[in-house]
Amino acid sequence: MRKDWQMLELCDRFFDAIEHKDYATLEACYAPEAVIWHSHDCLYQARADNLAMLKKGMETLAKTRFKDRRVRVFEGGFVQQHTIHVTRADGFVGHIEVCFVAYVRDGMISRAYEYFDTGQIEKFIGPRRERTATT
Amino acid sequence: MNQYETRELCNAFFDAYENGRLDVLERVLADDCIISHNVFGRETTKQDNLTKYPDSYVGQRRRTYNDRIVNTFDDGFVIQYTLNGVQYTLNGVMHTGHKGALWICIVARCRDGRITRIDEYMDSSKFAAWTGPPRRAADGGPR
Repeated sequence: MRKDWQMLELCDRFFDAIEHKDYATLEACYAPEAVIWHSHDCLYQARADNLAMLKKGMETLAKTRFKDRRVRVFEGGFVQQHTIHVTRADGFVGHIEVCFVAYVRDGMISRAYEYFDTGQIEKFIGPRRERTATT
Repeated sequence: MNQYETRELCNAFFDAYENGRLDVLERVLADDCIISHNVFGRETTKQDNLTKYPDSYVGQRRRTYNDRIVNTFDDGFVIQYTLNGVQYTLNGVMHTGHKGALWICIVARCRDGRITRIDEYMDSSKFAAWTGPPRRAADGGPR
């Protein structure tokens, strides 16, 4: 029998952990075999590489928020639509719309697919700065 | 709607898009259906989409919606798929044969056997690879 509340709780725990820079909780959300696919390169990223990327974000970004979360649970997983807002060290606030589809095993995310538009990446990372001769 | 009806509705929608069945699209989309496109940052209506459907096929000989992974929930579905297309020139005589693909995710809300909202997520940076290079003038293309 599907337990929607457990799936919703996992979804919230995962994204809340990123917002709160709670790496231990974040790591516990991923199953040992977890892989994460991204629409910009269409490749599966290994668990360790994805966690390293998220950890770096926790260390370097001033603030991360997942706003306008819309979650739906299906048999074996969930889908969350949100807008991620990040505040960078220089104060720039970037945002991008994301659709995150997760497949769950034993209460952990075992496979996830993340869709977003890299054609609008400057809204997220900020305008590219021109290099000066002094650098 | 139960999960089987929702799944059937999902496939009816994509089959109709694939086969140019505007009559089916008219039937499966609710009259007040809203379609949100992440790459354009705006919402369109059912009528917008039906009207512009022929334009969306300009330059394409064939379009198929493959690798469909469909999951249903209480009031809708999420589908992950690969959109494959074979492009042709604007006049449809000199085919370039270019093949492109886009990887798309759609989250849909349904009610009473019809789709009431579609949120479409794709990557516009893949559009150039999707359409391929323009036909060269030397091949009889536009000058």
